[in-house]
Amino acid sequence: MDRTKNDVTSSPYVTAHPTTESAAASSDAPALAGLLTHEDVDRARDRWEVARARWKGRGAKKFRRVRLLWLLIGPGVLVFLGENDAPSMLSYSADGARHGIGFFIPFVVLTFLMGFVVQEMTVRLGAVTHRGHAELIFDRFGRFWGFFAMGDLVVGNFLTLVTEFIGVRAGLGFFGVRPTIAIGGALVIVAAAITTGRYWTWERITMGLAIFNGLFIPAAILARPNWHAVGHALVTWKPLPTGNHYEIVLLILATIGATVTPWMLFFQQSAVVDKGMQPRDINAGRFDTILGVLLASVFAIAAILATAPLFHHGINSVDFQAAQFAEALEPLIGHTGAALFALGIFEAGIVAAIAISTSSAYAFGEVLQTGHSLNRPLRDAWPFYLVLLGSASAAAGLVLIPNFPLEFVALTVNVIAVLAMPPALAFLLLLVNDPEVMGEYVNGRWANVAGIGVTLLLIIAGLGFGLATVFPKWLGG
Amino acid sequence: MKSDFSELSVSKPGMEPIPADVAQPHLEDPRVVLSLLEADQVVAAKEQMRFGRQKLSRGVRLLLWGLRIYVVVMMIIVAISVLRAVHLIQ
Repeated sequence: MDRTKNDVTSSPYVTAHPTTESAAASSDAPALAGLLTHEDVDRARDRWEVARARWKGRGAKKFRRVRLLWLLIGPGVLVFLGENDAPSMLSYSADGARHGIGFFIPFVVLTFLMGFVVQEMTVRLGAVTHRGHAELIFDRFGRFWGFFAMGDLVVGNFLTLVTEFIGVRAGLGFFGVRPTIAIGGALVIVAAAITTGRYWTWERITMGLAIFNGLFIPAAILARPNWHAVGHALVTWKPLPTGNHYEIVLLILATIGATVTPWMLFFQQSAVVDKGMQPRDINAGRFDTILGVLLASVFAIAAILATAPLFHHGINSVDFQAAQFAEALEPLIGHTGAALFALGIFEAGIVAAIAISTSSAYAFGEVLQTGHSLNRPLRDAWPFYLVLLGSASAAAGLVLIPNFPLEFVALTVNVIAVLAMPPALAFLLLLVNDPEVMGEYVNGRWANVAGIGVTLLLIIAGLGFGLATVFPKWLGG
Repeated sequence: MKSDFSELSVSKPGMEPIPADVAQPHLEDPRVVLSLLEADQVVAAKEQMRFGRQKLSRGVRLLLWGLRIYVVVMMIIVAISVLRAVHLIQ
């Protein structure tokens, strides 16, 4: 293995550097051959499938390309459909219910474009370094800054997990399922997804669940939206939201937080690493991320359209939670539409619970330097699985506490995500511009302009929220 | 040291080193596993090799501290907003 000369003589480690050299070609190959793990073998199996799909002697070119994309999609689709979670779908629903078809439809598209700018960088970081985000922050910036980043992640992830189980409880509550059964069942699904001991199987199961985020589409169709108004809104961003300005600022912030959050950075980079993606897969990783953006933005707009009838009928939805949205929609879009909406909220909660608890487990494993791969069997990486299930169980338990202030947690989670994002983006931009980490894959000028632009926009949005909170009368709050 | 497995190395960028037309790879053979992974993708190699600390310039440290203070202030504001909401409900 190539090793750069360095001055870290006291460290047990040798400084890594980006390489695309095959392990078999490295000088350490004989030593590594005796140290291969179950994780390496599983990852090699996935790489073999990719190699086979790339092999020119096999099948027509377009079928090989489709097969290759099928093999390489996953982290991008999962991160964006995972981020279309219960509080996010509630934010979109609130957008539709309070302001109808207008400004928020193109605004959601804009937030997803911001999401793409950010997530594309994590694809490159993961594919080039084969390291997770938390690991790179600790390695490059040290423990002091690393623990700050982890603090933001842990708090944000736990609060978000709580809201996912709120979504599960509320979604199934529409069908009369008791909270203990709904939450217990959700935990069983999270546990079942990770018992496979194989990243590939976990990814496909979770993607299979995530596609049900599309339930918001038939719910939207049943709401019979005015498609002309949708097209007009997409082009003109009008009508603009009216009413209480403080509430509008909150909704804008919550809508941004529904698309761009710290856990997504940690999750997608770690998933890219666990999937075994390499620099030559970066374009496929970009396609995967674009596919995730497309699917998630369509489903998000569908949630806005599904709840827009509440706005047109003048129904006050300010204090609505998930089940109440579905109940209020029932007389307007029918029982089927309302049931689809409730099921969509349940699905959003369960997929995000899987993705976010996995994101926490990846980060803990990277920081503690213990096994952190879904390709590892339970006995080899029990701390990883313990964090995964433990964080999900603790969050689920909170939701079952009588009189727990569910609505406050759900309302503030997306706002906190936006506020915690600028430091996370600063670490990301520093890493992706670091030639020692990225080699030839460092950010180009336009990627930096876009990344810095997104960061500034989030800071301005956060400051707007701060001013609106401290001086509510300025905005008529 | 020259690798014993150099015959499996990637000869051209974008090419895979093993014959991919076989139905199943022989993954019990470590040479096949190593030929499919990049040098720093093997778990044992990753455990031995880490990216070293980056020397942070004054500007970067100022930026990180500024953003840290921003987050702390904003969290206090979130707390104020939540407390205000609780007070309104009560």
